[in-house]
Amino acid sequence: MHIEHIDEHFNNRNVTEMNSDYYLVGIEDYPTDNWGRFKRVIKRSFRGELFVGLWVVMREMIRFDIHTVKYPEEKMPIGPRYRAIHQMKRLWESDAERCIGCGLCEKICISNCIRIETKLDASSRKEVSEYSINLGRCIFCGYCAEVCPELAITHGGEYENASDQREHFTMYQDMLTPLDMMRAGTQLEFEGFGSITPHEDERVKKTPLAY
Amino acid sequence: MNKLINFKIDGISVEAQRGETILTVARKNGIYIPTMCYISKTSPCASCRMCVVEAEGVEGFILSCNTPPTEGVEITTNTAALQNERTNIMKLYDVNHPLECGVCDKSGECDLQNKTLEFSVERQSFSARDQLRPLQHWGLIDYEPSLCIMCEKCVHVCNEVIGDDAIEVKFGGYSSTIIPKNSETLDCTFCGECIAVCPVGALVSSGFKYRANAWELERVPATCAHCSAGCPLEYETRHASLNGADEIFRVKNNFEFASLCGAGRFGFDFDNRALKNENAFNRAIEALKNAKAIRFSSMITNEEAHILELLKDKLGVKLFNEDARKFAEFMKSYSSISSKLHHSGSLDAIKQSDALIVIGSRIATDNPGVRYALTTASKHNGAKIVYAHPMEDTLMQSVITQMMKYEVGTEEGVMALLAHTILKDSDLDESERAFFDELDFGYLYAETNIGEEELSHMMKSFMRAKKRTLIIGNDLIAHDRSSNIAKLAALIEKYSDFSLIVVPREVNTLGVSLINSLDRDEKISDVVGYNAKGDFVISSLEGADLAIPSLNQQEGTFVSIDNRVLPTNVALEFDGYTLNDIANALGIYNKNTIDYTKELNKNSGFKDISFDDLENFLSPLGEDNRGYLLDEVECAADGKLEELDDMPEFNGTIIYQCNPVLQFNNYTFKTAQLPKENFLRGSAQFGVAAKIADGDMVEISYKETKIQRKFKLDSELKGTIALNPTFDISVDASRYRFEKSKIERVMQ
Repeated sequence: MHIEHIDEHFNNRNVTEMNSDYYLVGIEDYPTDNWGRFKRVIKRSFRGELFVGLWVVMREMIRFDIHTVKYPEEKMPIGPRYRAIHQMKRLWESDAERCIGCGLCEKICISNCIRIETKLDASSRKEVSEYSINLGRCIFCGYCAEVCPELAITHGGEYENASDQREHFTMYQDMLTPLDMMRAGTQLEFEGFGSITPHEDERVKKTPLAY
Repeated sequence: MNKLINFKIDGISVEAQRGETILTVARKNGIYIPTMCYISKTSPCASCRMCVVEAEGVEGFILSCNTPPTEGVEITTNTAALQNERTNIMKLYDVNHPLECGVCDKSGECDLQNKTLEFSVERQSFSARDQLRPLQHWGLIDYEPSLCIMCEKCVHVCNEVIGDDAIEVKFGGYSSTIIPKNSETLDCTFCGECIAVCPVGALVSSGFKYRANAWELERVPATCAHCSAGCPLEYETRHASLNGADEIFRVKNNFEFASLCGAGRFGFDFDNRALKNENAFNRAIEALKNAKAIRFSSMITNEEAHILELLKDKLGVKLFNEDARKFAEFMKSYSSISSKLHHSGSLDAIKQSDALIVIGSRIATDNPGVRYALTTASKHNGAKIVYAHPMEDTLMQSVITQMMKYEVGTEEGVMALLAHTILKDSDLDESERAFFDELDFGYLYAETNIGEEELSHMMKSFMRAKKRTLIIGNDLIAHDRSSNIAKLAALIEKYSDFSLIVVPREVNTLGVSLINSLDRDEKISDVVGYNAKGDFVISSLEGADLAIPSLNQQEGTFVSIDNRVLPTNVALEFDGYTLNDIANALGIYNKNTIDYTKELNKNSGFKDISFDDLENFLSPLGEDNRGYLLDEVECAADGKLEELDDMPEFNGTIIYQCNPVLQFNNYTFKTAQLPKENFLRGSAQFGVAAKIADGDMVEISYKETKIQRKFKLDSELKGTIALNPTFDISVDASRYRFEKSKIERVMQ
């Protein structure tokens, strides 16, 4: 029953019946004979539609109080949750990289653009030896950031990633928060699973492991 | 005898066979009882106590894993008290367990993780002082004691199934750990079965550690391509490096029921990488057109063997494969007495036997699958195992109950003595009886060095046995008198309750011997080698004129020692040409190699089943659903026993062609992780006889072969026979594996 209802809506393309705000655009009939076609050419050529457009540009140019952003000199501020080129975060307490190499971002990536390589490092810890995102394929869906158990990968605000290469990669080191930024305390932090919760200091309790 | 026990689990009426426990019956009937330490192929560890159930009229909880049901008892598996008990056990398991699931290799397939979530253990309500427990490096295996939950699965498997008995529990309450037994570091055959059964990330493969995660790997069910045991395994693949092609990262197996040796587990990277080389392909076609013979190895699938057989008819060439030809001849002689094509035994039959004879094989390294079956029989049935061979094997020491050491070359005499002893009271026909009556026992006892009392001791120990098996190794197949030996073996199978297993040498020796009509190898020119030597070599090994995929890059079937046709799948892609492409170019058309699966030789028992209809899994209760068993084929029983030949004498320095553990052939030699100890190994006595010392470079010469190897003194060996590995050379498989040889020190 429910499905039938949906079917009706999808198949009934006669919008006027469903919503009276719609109206049909009056379109003249197409000319059928050569004389009619000739008249249409004359009409279109000499109506001066070109100058209508030119006038709009001219008017805005001389008005001086324009609202257009002068990109690339000026840029609009973007929201903190904007999904542009990824960033790799560091831990506040140690400046160490947050990524633990679990590979979930690679697994979840629907455009298959993340590749990660891990290995055992000299101190018997798991080391991310290679990490890249193929920006030519990335659709900036944000799944990688969502699945990350450590909040290590997030999206940043850097959206200018035009390239003359189809395969334009970002590497791990380019995405990683620079150390001076960590020292200045300006790493952008998000709330969420894996992040530092507000009032962290008050909430921490001694674990049973304390000696 | 086999009376069923009727009882109830959670109100459901169930039946138990004698010897079954409550847990196995519950599992059979789909009733869930959680366990942490239970593993089907060993006796219950009973260390986790998760499997507790309540029985009506019994005070307290009982362990379902090691308690057999009694008639009419009512079992409850799920009450609040039981749930509470189990939750508390899980809470204790989780005490101080490192919270490193994010990096742990086991994460995603971890029993502890699953059960912790199942019983919703959210916080640690007990505490204990944590202790420093450093990571242990044991070669191919790493042990992380802090992750270990002391379920003891590894110890049980190592002892009861593998037979290495290399690890044990160091008891100490909370500070208990697993330690190598009687050794500083782990000294074992590195089968890695402990890694497989470990429910947490405590025992891991050091080569795999931290390279990938369970959720990233793609599983390809396949069959091990190293020996004829045909163990089931799964190749786990993933891309390697940023732009790299797929690679096999590790091998896993269904450890609940099947086992795998170290070569199968760690020797997976024998794949062949090649691109389409049209030039080489055209030369291969040309070479085949001009060829007089194709020489090939048994490291191929049944389908490839079938294509080669078609090529033989089409091109009129000869087919050389000495290994399979010898095996086929042996089985032909066997059939001429037993009137059937296939031997009767299987690995499962070995596991269930309680009286076994192994003859003519250093079985632990020739076929680990048979060794594990023997260990299982020994530990679970208390099987009496007679090991007849000219050399002792320390790997088999804990399993065998009687060593029957015979002189090199006297296998025919030994078989005659065995047959005579076993068939003493059997209803033989006249000519067969006459054969035994005519035996010169004095001569046989003297030459074989087997005493009458040894044989009677064997018969005495076998007296109460319910199921007996005779296992025949390659020394008998490659023997000059193999035909008569086969007839004697057939006689034992025919007139006694012994089942028989003939161990094929290579992974698909059995399949090839059933599919191909083979010619005796000759030294002629214009031979095309297919995975073997030739004037033009088509091979999946290095140095080939045309590269073809190796066995983990092909789909097809093998015939295992169980006479089972087992499917294997493509783990890694291969970009070059295959044998089917060659056959297509030569006018034998079929789109895919696996289209030949249902065309395989029906006269040998192959069934009309296409490849895609073959299953490849073990059921949750352990039934083997892989491929199919060959049909039994009736043969004419027209064979007659021949009179025994004079026993050959082997004096001086003798070498035995035998690989060390973890090595089988040129393919295992290719792999990165397996140790490649290509030394001539011999005892101190051998060193004295050959006038060589430990570490000397020696030249070994026999027949026309000369090999240079380093000599290594092995304190575990005795006598004047040294072991010469063959995995890094190519050997004439038709030759008897003991060789009289000349050994000289090479000056450096």
